[in-house]
Amino acid sequence: MDSSASPIDDDSIIQESLLYDSEKQEILEPVEYTQTRSKFQHLFSSYARAGSPLLFGEDAGNLRILQLDVDYEIVQKDTFLEDSSSAAVLRIYGVTEGGNSVLARVHGFRPFFFIICPSQFDPADLPAIKESLEKRARAVSSMKNCQGPIIHDLEIFEGRSLLYFVPSDPLIRFLKITVALPSYVRQLAQILERGDIDFSPYEESRYSTFEASVDFILRFMIETNMYGCSWVEMPSNRYHLPEKQTSHMQFEIDIHYTHLVCHAPHGEWLKTAPIRILSFDIECAGRPGVFPEPEHDQVIQIANYMTETGKSEPIARTVLTLGSCAPIAGAKVLSFDSEAELLEAWVSFLCATDPDILTGYNIVNFDLPYLLNRASVLHLSSFPFLGRLMGVMTKMHDTRLSSSAFGTHESKAFTMNGRIIVDMLQILVRDYKLRSYSLNSVSFEFLGEQKEDVHHSIITELFHGNENTRRRLAVYCLKDAYLPHRLMEKLMSLTNYMELARVAGIPLAWLLSRGHMIKVVSLLHRKAFPESLLIPDLKNTSHNSSEEAESYEGATVIEPKRGFYKMPIATLDFASLYPSIMMAHNICYSTLVRKDRVKYLKPEDYIKSPSGDCYVRPSVKKGVLSKILEDLLSARKVAKRELEQATDPFLRSVLNGRQLALKISANAVYGFTGASRGKLPCTEISASITAFGRRMIETTKSLVESKFPSSVVIYGDTDSVMVKFRDDLTLEESMSLGQQAADIISQSFPKPIKLEFEKCYYPYLLIQKKRYAGLLWTKTETYDKMDCKGIETVRRDNCKLVANVVSKVLEKLLVERDVQGAIDFVKKTISDLLQNKVDISLLVISKELSKAAADYDANQAHVTLYKKLYQRDPGSAPSLGDRIPYVTIKGRKDQPAHERAEDPIYVLEHNLPLDTEYYLKNMLRKPLERIFEPIIGKNVSSLFEGEHTRSITVTTPSTGGIMRFTKVSVTCLGCRTPIPQTESKEPLCKYCKANEASIYEKILCNVREYERQYAMLWTQCQRCMGSICQDVLCSNSDCPIFYRRRKVQKDLEDTSKQLERFEILPPPSW
Amino acid sequence: MVSKEEQNSLSSFQFEARLTQASLIKKILEAIKDLVTDANFDCSPEGLSLQAMDSSHVSLVSMVLHAQGFEMFRCQRAVSLGINLASLTKILKCAGNDDSITLRADEKGDKAEFVFESQSQDRLSEFELKLMDIDSEHLGIPDTKYSAIVEMPSSEYRRICSDLGVMGDTVRISVSKESVKFQVDGDIGKGSVCLHPSSVVDKPTEVVKISLEEPVDMIFSIRYLNYFAKAAPLSDTVTLSLSKDFPLQIEFKFGEQMGYLRYYLAPKID
Repeated sequence: MDSSASPIDDDSIIQESLLYDSEKQEILEPVEYTQTRSKFQHLFSSYARAGSPLLFGEDAGNLRILQLDVDYEIVQKDTFLEDSSSAAVLRIYGVTEGGNSVLARVHGFRPFFFIICPSQFDPADLPAIKESLEKRARAVSSMKNCQGPIIHDLEIFEGRSLLYFVPSDPLIRFLKITVALPSYVRQLAQILERGDIDFSPYEESRYSTFEASVDFILRFMIETNMYGCSWVEMPSNRYHLPEKQTSHMQFEIDIHYTHLVCHAPHGEWLKTAPIRILSFDIECAGRPGVFPEPEHDQVIQIANYMTETGKSEPIARTVLTLGSCAPIAGAKVLSFDSEAELLEAWVSFLCATDPDILTGYNIVNFDLPYLLNRASVLHLSSFPFLGRLMGVMTKMHDTRLSSSAFGTHESKAFTMNGRIIVDMLQILVRDYKLRSYSLNSVSFEFLGEQKEDVHHSIITELFHGNENTRRRLAVYCLKDAYLPHRLMEKLMSLTNYMELARVAGIPLAWLLSRGHMIKVVSLLHRKAFPESLLIPDLKNTSHNSSEEAESYEGATVIEPKRGFYKMPIATLDFASLYPSIMMAHNICYSTLVRKDRVKYLKPEDYIKSPSGDCYVRPSVKKGVLSKILEDLLSARKVAKRELEQATDPFLRSVLNGRQLALKISANAVYGFTGASRGKLPCTEISASITAFGRRMIETTKSLVESKFPSSVVIYGDTDSVMVKFRDDLTLEESMSLGQQAADIISQSFPKPIKLEFEKCYYPYLLIQKKRYAGLLWTKTETYDKMDCKGIETVRRDNCKLVANVVSKVLEKLLVERDVQGAIDFVKKTISDLLQNKVDISLLVISKELSKAAADYDANQAHVTLYKKLYQRDPGSAPSLGDRIPYVTIKGRKDQPAHERAEDPIYVLEHNLPLDTEYYLKNMLRKPLERIFEPIIGKNVSSLFEGEHTRSITVTTPSTGGIMRFTKVSVTCLGCRTPIPQTESKEPLCKYCKANEASIYEKILCNVREYERQYAMLWTQCQRCMGSICQDVLCSNSDCPIFYRRRKVQKDLEDTSKQLERFEILPPPSW
Repeated sequence: MVSKEEQNSLSSFQFEARLTQASLIKKILEAIKDLVTDANFDCSPEGLSLQAMDSSHVSLVSMVLHAQGFEMFRCQRAVSLGINLASLTKILKCAGNDDSITLRADEKGDKAEFVFESQSQDRLSEFELKLMDIDSEHLGIPDTKYSAIVEMPSSEYRRICSDLGVMGDTVRISVSKESVKFQVDGDIGKGSVCLHPSSVVDKPTEVVKISLEEPVDMIFSIRYLNYFAKAAPLSDTVTLSLSKDFPLQIEFKFGEQMGYLRYYLAPKID
């Protein structure tokens, strides 16, 4: 429970956890929202869940609910129990198949843990020991007020420790201690570990505890065999209705835990229930130049988009606005005169619609904290009740999730019992590596949609306008509430996470609030406990860190033979390498033999890993990890098979989510054993696994090369080797050889290790280790895709130009097989760059201002720029957390690059010269050299020098030191030579005069072209905005159109001016 | 814009000019290559000129070599030669200081030829430089009547700039009838150099002259003044012309009727 006291847990939430808080939350009297209720009561109740066909009483059927969340409360006197003792009451929040929300309050389950029995223990002493434990516990102030016994049960349990195989595998006696409340487990465990208790006549000074660190809810779920998001059945004659509702859920029941029937998620129980999801977004009216702060700035709009799984139409689309707002088609607009009314109405909307899941974009760190803080500033005592329990205040806590896989994230947690917060921003940050996480660029990436990006300083302006400007804002707000929903649907986040919860056996919410480890912990417990294997509580993983923390050797990489391979290259992969090694060699905590005990084993009974650790063979004892993996992988096979047969799209998405979840979980097992700060780290295991892996790759290489003469292994990494069989093979021949090789070599490895042939690369460009590109073929008819690893197509710290050029070049090289075409393309791009013809949006790099500018040590471009922007105008300067886009402009000789970072829009407006040389040398050159070196060798520098670099354009800035004083002297539009002042009205010099007509035509064509482009871009923006009658306000720095629009506008002005010099047409106005 | 090809088909232009001393061109190049990387050399019947802003657009360089300063100058029509100064430096390294230098641009306009001839005429070297197409606006500072004009030895100017440059980033230049004063205020301390108009006129190259309409007091970046000091070898004296709220003009004359190299630097606002 109290994770802050646990050994440094890789995954635990430091500071405070929600669950911990549930023990001490205070219950306030429910507040009535009479005032605002009256106004929109009718509307809100039309959004409520359907009335229920559910019957209560003798002849009612069994109640089945889909469990979505579990928490618990501490009840001083649980009157449901016979002895009315203090107990934890578990609360299962669920939905019936008909879409009714049900709160099941589960009574009677008590936590337990184990200690090793004192030696020569006499079972007759159990009552005495129980009594002394009880006495010792009563002496602790936090336990003394417990109603009923503290120690509920004490019994002998015969089992084994999960860690280490002991020769002859003897059973050990443990004492199972069952206590009244979850928090007592740790307190008692600590007393026992310290030896702060006397069990005479036994003289052990300390007792090692087992499974005391298991979370109470997990303990409950394991004991009742309940999985995350699984179906729980309550027999009709076993549950009771409470006298008084304690929640906003439709139905509440009380039941003893022994009467629960939990269905494992298989077969028919894979179905789901209608889940209500509310996606919302708020808008605030900030003051000019300051990011909105709840202390000062009003919440002016809240948009809601509520859906129910399985229904194609949303249940509610509403927008709550402060002040009048013109109607919006397809949405209900509710207008309020005061902010307090608006906020209170939102709470009653929430209670009336009763969503199971709250979603949105960055709601955890912006919208929700803002609403709560704002309500407290306004002293709205009825607002912070967003959970499903009546009278339980919603509070915020800071949390910090440190995980080796996800990194450290600071975030907020809320007490909102029964509602799961799924912030799409957090999901995306967790699951996808992207250039930018702004809602805009994410929508563009996954939905192919842009949205209007209204800077927060404009929002206030729109708000203070009239009902039409507020309508505009409301449309914008609605879109922001709608997009997270779309993303969730498109990425199938909910389905995938629910399946993961089912596979791992943990509540859905834990997947978001905790790291990878908890999944394996759950799986391990679920598998080990039925075999009477108990998991030791490792006190402090650093106790012998000096020797254990030594890092073990990672995976192997066969030195790449670099080059551009025009023949097919077959790729042989080990399927699920690490899991299959663990299964093949029976690697597990429970089969690992301590080095000093190996001598007691017969040589045929154990396997020695290449790293020197020994594991008993499955014939002696089968490892728990192997069993877990076997289950996961065979379940995955089943899921995949079912997926092939399934036709219903919804079932398909569930099955696909399931097979993914199974794969993720299987791969997490290896990481769990290696995580040095995890629950149960064991470097012997992870070192053995990688050692086997290395040996297998090397064996494969030598086998391939010996069995297939003239074949060469050109590269190999972790779980795959790339083989070139012969220079002159067709794709078909290579594929059949690859298949043969996989079959032959698989036989030399123990089951279930399997070498698979899945694909050929043809052609294949091997740049260096972990950097390659190739066309991937799995069948002979067409290639599947272009596969790139470690190449600058996705890197985030580059400008888009690099990614674009690199991917285009690879396409030319690999797909079109046109080396000359690729070279020409590069030259053309460089030439365009030097002539300032490249779209500036391609040159933008953006970095997040993640901390205050003063806290940065090194000089970073975006920080220097931030200071510059702040000096220019503190009002429009970016704020903390904003991404700052920048381009690099020309500067003094030797001026550091970070000082030359400039705001792209400022650059456009003032026509500042870009440092094209810098982009060429520091951005484009390296990646392109890497790609072309294996192809054209030393000639590669010819790409960057020569004729195509000799045309450059230097723009004339409209700002900066000397510019205020300069005068542009007139030059000839034909040949660029200065025109003497006496003839300064002339557009052309006297030598070019003869060609006036053709020069005029040329410039006229330029103007026409720019006009055409400008019109197209403007239309595009109008479409994105959804209106052709309003000005385009968008300042979306992620959008290429935006920059192009500005640039073309500028070019158009310039060329129009040239045209004017001929004095033929009246000047157009732009 | 019209491409080079078309431009040249318009006329049968040819440009050719010879300077007796290659060192002049070499020094000019040294004096501007830190500020400008690529520039158009404008050739016209009046002479050869260059105007360019430095890459950080704080200062402006203006160079003029009058036609009469050349040993031979032939220009049928005006033309711009786009030159990468780093490449030109490489070629000029091959010329001896006393060599004569001939510059030619042919019909196509895509390259320029350089011929270096030793004084004794027994060594002739020829080079060809590929020209660039530089699309930039032609900028200049309008002529003005300056409030204060200070003439001083180039070596003195160079010394003041390098001495004060180690103290701070900016220098305050105050000109009065009696003196011109350079003041710096930096992190480590303060410093100033004051020059008085010299009364003795026996060595004209060491003279300090002040001609004043009204006193001025302005602040400039030392870094740029130091860049300009690279031009000191071109001339024994330098002329600083100042007017309130107007760029400082620093002029190095190449000698009577030959031409000049001017720098303009915007004042810093206090």
